[in-house]
Amino acid sequence: MQILKDHAKPYWRDITFSILAVIVMAGASLWQPRLLQNIMKAIIADNQSQVMQYGIQLLVLAVIGLVAGVINTIFAAKVSQSIAADVRANEYKKIQSFSFGNIEKFSAGNLVVRMTNDVNQVQQLVMMFLQSLTRIPILFVGAFILALMTLPRLWWIVVLMVILIALSSQIVFKQMGKFFTRIQKLIDKTNTLAKENLQGVRVVKSFNQEQNETTRFTENSDELTHVNTTIGYLFSTMIPMFMLISYVAIGAAVLFVGRGIIQHPSDLAAITSFISYLMQIFFAIMIGGMMSTFASRGFVSLARIKEVLDTEPDLTYDTNAEDLDLSGDVSFKNVAFTYPGDQKPALENISFDVKSGEMIGIVGATGSGKTTLAQLIARLYDPSAGEVTVGGVNLKHVNEKSLRRAVSYVLQRAILFSGTIAGNLRQGNQGASETELQKAAEIAQAAEFVNRYDDNFEHEVEERSANFSGGQKQRLSIARGVVGNPKILILDDSTSALDARSEKLVQEALDRDLKGTTTFVIAEKISSVLHADRILVLDEGQLVGIGSHQELLQTSSIYTEIYETQKAKGANA
Amino acid sequence: MTDIKRAIVYFAKYLKRYWLSLSFVTVVTVISIYFEVKAPVYMGQAITELANYVGQYMNPQTQQTASMTPFYKALGLMMLFFVVTAITMFISSFISSRISAEASGRMRIGLFAKLQRMTIKYFDTHRDGEILSLFTSDLDNIFNAMNQAIFQLLSQFALFVGVILMMFNQNVKLALVTMASTPVAIIVAWFVISRARHYIDQQQDATGKMNGYINEQINGEKIIITQGLQKESIAGFAPHNETVKQATFRGQVYSGMLFPLMQGLSLLNLAIVIFFGSWLVVHDGMDKSVGLGLIVVFVNYSQQYYQPITQITSIYNMLQLAVTGARRLSDVDEQVEEISPVNGQKLTGVSSNVTLKDIHFAYQENKEILHGVSIDVQKGEMVALVGPTGSGKTTVMNLLNRFYDVTGGAVTFDGVDVRDLDLKSLREHVGIVLQDSVLFSGTIADNIKFGDPEASDEAMIDAAKQANIHDFIMTLPDAYQTKVDDENSIFSTGQKQLLSIARTILTNPSFLILDEATSNVDTVTEARIQAAMDNVIAGRTSFVIAHRLKTILGADKIVVLKDGQVIEEGSHEALVAEGGFYAELYHNQMVFE
Ligand SMILES: Nc1ncnc2c1ncn2[C@@H]1O[C@H](COP(=O)(O)OP(=O)(O)OP(=O)(O)O)[C@@H](O)[C@H]1O
Ligand SMILES: Nc1ncnc2c1ncn2[C@@H]1O[C@H](COP(=O)(O)OP(=O)(O)OP(=O)(O)O)[C@@H](O)[C@H]1O
Ligand SMILES: [Mg+2]
Ligand SMILES: [Mg+2]
Repeated sequence: MQILKDHAKPYWRDITFSILAVIVMAGASLWQPRLLQNIMKAIIADNQSQVMQYGIQLLVLAVIGLVAGVINTIFAAKVSQSIAADVRANEYKKIQSFSFGNIEKFSAGNLVVRMTNDVNQVQQLVMMFLQSLTRIPILFVGAFILALMTLPRLWWIVVLMVILIALSSQIVFKQMGKFFTRIQKLIDKTNTLAKENLQGVRVVKSFNQEQNETTRFTENSDELTHVNTTIGYLFSTMIPMFMLISYVAIGAAVLFVGRGIIQHPSDLAAITSFISYLMQIFFAIMIGGMMSTFASRGFVSLARIKEVLDTEPDLTYDTNAEDLDLSGDVSFKNVAFTYPGDQKPALENISFDVKSGEMIGIVGATGSGKTTLAQLIARLYDPSAGEVTVGGVNLKHVNEKSLRRAVSYVLQRAILFSGTIAGNLRQGNQGASETELQKAAEIAQAAEFVNRYDDNFEHEVEERSANFSGGQKQRLSIARGVVGNPKILILDDSTSALDARSEKLVQEALDRDLKGTTTFVIAEKISSVLHADRILVLDEGQLVGIGSHQELLQTSSIYTEIYETQKAKGANA
Repeated sequence: MTDIKRAIVYFAKYLKRYWLSLSFVTVVTVISIYFEVKAPVYMGQAITELANYVGQYMNPQTQQTASMTPFYKALGLMMLFFVVTAITMFISSFISSRISAEASGRMRIGLFAKLQRMTIKYFDTHRDGEILSLFTSDLDNIFNAMNQAIFQLLSQFALFVGVILMMFNQNVKLALVTMASTPVAIIVAWFVISRARHYIDQQQDATGKMNGYINEQINGEKIIITQGLQKESIAGFAPHNETVKQATFRGQVYSGMLFPLMQGLSLLNLAIVIFFGSWLVVHDGMDKSVGLGLIVVFVNYSQQYYQPITQITSIYNMLQLAVTGARRLSDVDEQVEEISPVNGQKLTGVSSNVTLKDIHFAYQENKEILHGVSIDVQKGEMVALVGPTGSGKTTVMNLLNRFYDVTGGAVTFDGVDVRDLDLKSLREHVGIVLQDSVLFSGTIADNIKFGDPEASDEAMIDAAKQANIHDFIMTLPDAYQTKVDDENSIFSTGQKQLLSIARTILTNPSFLILDEATSNVDTVTEARIQAAMDNVIAGRTSFVIAHRLKTILGADKIVVLKDGQVIEEGSHEALVAEGGFYAELYHNQMVFE
C-alpha cells in the first residue's frame, strides 16, 4: 500500500482530474433515472414542450457523461501506466543493486516474474481503482440515503440486506486472498519450468524427455488450473448469492408494502423508486465486491514487489570512500567463507600476499574452492572471517567504481548478451575504441574469427550466444575481461574450451601485453599455470600449497598427484 | 481481421472439446436472461394489482370483494423468476468458470508441449524471455478474458438478439427507429477499435521485448555485477519501459474510450427515439394513448438495446488482449516441428558403423560451416574429434543427434540415413554429454535420473560413483534428495559436469558422444572417471571431443577438424609421427619432464 502511495504522489494532479471526472460520471448516472422518469411522465401527459426540454437535458447529460468518461480514461490510463513504469523502473534499479547472494536467494526466474506479471497486476489495480472504485462508494452512499428517504418505514430491509451481503463477502474475500497468493507462486513455478526447458532444450531432446517434462509441467499447470477453478467457483457462488439476497430484500419490500398498504397508501408511489435504489445498492456492492477480489490479487503482487524493494543488498559499498587508483597488490588474511545457507565452510583460513604484476596460478580438485576464492577478490561476496585487501585497502572500504576498474573477473561460465560483439566487449570498458576492441580481441585470440565476419565487431550475438562455439564464447569473454586494461585479471578456467594452441597464444599475449597486471589463472591443466610466478594449491577449502611449479613438486603431494595425471609419459600414454 | 480469424481458430481448437458444456451454458444463459428480463414485468404487475386493490378497497362498493390474491400471485411469480434467474446464473457461471480455467490450462500445456516438439533452430534464434512472455503475459490475458469477458460476450449477445426480436414483435417502424443509429455506432466503434487494436498489438510486442530484455539481463546479472554495469543495464531498460508505457497508455485510452462513447451514443439514441417516435406516432394516425404507451415501451427497449453494446465495449480491452495473445500463440503453433519420419526405421543399437558421408552444413544460408566432412566410426570404436575452437566439432555432434539436418551428404547409422530413422529411437541410443551442463529444478536424484526416471536407486548411485560425484553428494545433509536448480545450485562448475556425466551413464546408450565433458573437471578426478569410463566405453561406440588430449590418447582413431574440414586422421602415434597439426597441438599441451 505504502508503495502505491509513494508512487502515486507525483501524479496527484492527474489522479484528482480522473477522480473528479468519475464523480461527474456518478452524478450523471444518479441523475439519469430521474430525468427518464420525468420524460415518461411528460410523454404520457402529452406535454410536448416538456418532452422537448427534458430531451435537451438528456442530450446535455449524454455529452457531459461522454466527456467525463473520456477524461477519466485518459487520466486513469496515464496515471496507471506512469505508476507501473515507475514501479518497474525502481524494482529494476533495486535488482541492479543486488549482490550475487541476493540474486541467488530470489532466483532470476522469480525476479523476472516479479518484474513483469506482478507489475502488470498492479497496473490493472490502479487503472481499476481510478476508473470505478471511486464511483462505487458514491453510488452506494447515494442510493442508500435515497432509499432510506423514500421509504423510512422499511429501513431495516436496507440495513439487513447490506449486512448480509457484507458478511458473506467477508467470508469469500478471506478465501480469495489465500488463493491469489498461491496463484502467483504457481506462476513463478510455471515460469521456472518453462525457462529451464528453454535453457536445457538440448538436454531434454537428447534424453527424449519431452514427454516427461511435459508431464512435469502439466502437474504444475493442473494445480494452477485447480486453484483458478476454485476461485471461479467462489465467484460463481458469490454473485448469485448476492443477487438472491437482494431479490429477497426486494420481495420482502413489496410484500411489506402490500401488507400495510391500507395504513400507508402513499407507499404505493414510493415502492418503484425504492426498489430501483435497492437494485443500485446491490449493483454497487456486487461490482465493489468483484473489484476488491481483483484488487486482492493486485495486493498480493504488490506485496511481492515490496519484498524486492525492501530487500537490502547484503553487500554495500562505502559511499564515502574516495575514488582510488588501486594497485595490483592482493592479500588474504585468515580468510574463511561459508555460502549463505550452507553449514560447511567453502574456504578456511586462507592467507597469502600477491605483489602487483605477479602471475598466480590456482589449482585444485573440482569443488575445492577456486571459484569461491576468486569471487572474494572481486568482492562478489564478503568473507565470513578475515579480510581481503586490494592495493592495500580492505575491500569493505573500497568504492565500487575503483574496485571494478581495478579488478576484472572472467567468469567460469561464459555468458554473452544478445546484441553485437562490440556491445559485449564494451561491457568491459564503455569508452573502448575500435582499436582497443581489436587489441583485446587479439590478446584473447578472438580476432582470428571476429575478423572473418563481414561485419567484424558488429556481428550479431544471438540469444544464449547460440551462434558461437564454446571456445569462441570463452575467447570473447576473455576479450571483454582485458579490454578495460585492469590492474588485476582473474581468469576462472577461462581457457578450458580452448585448444592447446589458442590457449598458448592467449598466455603469451597476456604476458606481453598485460605486463603490469596481476593475473590469477584458475586452471585444471598444469600446462596453463606452469609458468606462473607462484601457484596456489587448494584442497577442500584449505590452502595446502604455495610456490612455483618446481617448489610445489617438492613440497605438495596434492600438486604432484595432479601433475602426474598430466605428464606426457604418464600412465597410459 | 485475420488476427481475429486466427484467434477464433485458436480458441475453437481448445474449446471444441467443451462443445456440450458450452451449448448447455448457452442455453442456461439464454434462460437466465429470459427470466431476468421477465421478472420486472411481474414486479410491475404486482404493483398494478396492489394499486387495483387499494382502488377497490377505497371504493365502498367494492371494498367487500377487494382481494389481495392477484397481488400475492404476481409477487409469487416475481420471486419465482428471481430465484430461477439466480439459480441459472449460478449454474452457467459455475460451468463456465470451470471451462475457462481448464481451457486455459490446456492452452498452457499445449504451448509447452508444442515447444517441446520444436526444432533447436527455433530456440537458437528466439529470445527466451519473449517465449516466456507467452506464459506469463499472453496466457494470463487469455484466461482473464475467458473468465470475465468471453462468456459475458455470449450472454450479452443473447440479450441483444432477444431485445431485437421483442422490438420487432411490438412495432416494426419504431424498432427500425431504435436501431437507426446503429451504423453510426458501428463506424465509431470500428474506428476506435482499429486504433486500439493497433496499439494493443504494439503493447504486447513491446511487452514481449521488454520481458526478453529483463530475462536476459537478470539471468546474466553475474556479468553485470562483475563488470560494474548496473547503471548501463538500467539505462538499457529505460527505453523498453518507456515504449511499453506509451503503447499501453495509447491502447488503454482508445479501448477505454469506447465505453463512454457508446454510453453517450445510447443516450443520443434515446433522444432520437423520443423525438422521432413521437413524431411518427402523431403522423401515423395511431390512437394517441396507444402510441404514447408504445413510446414508453420503446424508451425502455432503447436502453436495453444499447446495454449489450456498451457492455461489450467495456470489456473490449480484455477481449483484444486475448485476441492478440491468441495470435501470438498461434504464431508459435505454426512453427515447424522436428520431423520424425512416419514409420521411420527404429534404431535398435549400432551393429556395424556410424558414418558421416561428405557432410556439408550451414546454420545460415551461404555461410557453410562444414565443407565435406567424412568420418567413419566402426562399432566398438572410440573416435576422437580434435581441432581448434570453432572448427565445427560441436556442429558435427548436432548432426549426429539430428538437432540440425545436413545441407549436403548424409549421416548414417548402420547405413541408414538419420532422416529415415525414428527420431525417438535415434536419441534413445545416442547419449550425449553436452559442452554446457544444465541442471533442472528438483532433487539431485531427479537430475541424475533425468534420462531414465524409472531407474533404481542402486543404478543411480552406481552412475554417480562412476562419475566420481557420489562422495560429494554424500557430504550434503540431504544427500541425493538435496534440492537444486540451474542457477542456485550448490555445485561448482566441475561438479555440475560430473552430474551430467552421471546422467548420461545411467541411460546406458549404445552410441556415446562426449563433447568436452570434463573440460572443467580437475585431471585427477578426470583420470578416475576415465578408469571408470573405460568399462562404460568398452564395447560401446563412442565419439569424444576434447581439448585435453590426454583424455583421447587411447582413442582408436583421432580425427582432426579444422575450419570445417578433416585435415588429419589416424592413431595418436601415427599423427605425432606425422608431425602435422595434431603433433603441434600435442606438444603445446603436454608437460614434459
Ligand atoms: N547456432 C549457430 N548459428 C550460427 N553459427 C553457429 C551456430 N553454432 C555454431 N556456429 C558457428 O559454427 C562454427 C563451428 O562451431 P562449433 O560449435 O561446431 O565449434 P567447435 O569446434 O565445437 O568449437 P569449440 O571447441 O569452441 O566448442 C563456429 O564458427 C560458430 O560460430
Ligand atoms: N552458490 C553456492 N551455494 C552453496 N555452495 C556452493 C555454491 N557455489 C559453490 N558451492 C560449494 O562450494 C565448494 C567450492 O566451490 P567452487 O565453485 O569454489 O569450486 P571450484 O574449485 O571452483 O570447482 P570447479 O573446478 O569445479 O570450478 C563446492 O563444494 C561447492 O559445492
Ligand atoms: Mg570453479
Ligand atoms: Mg564445441
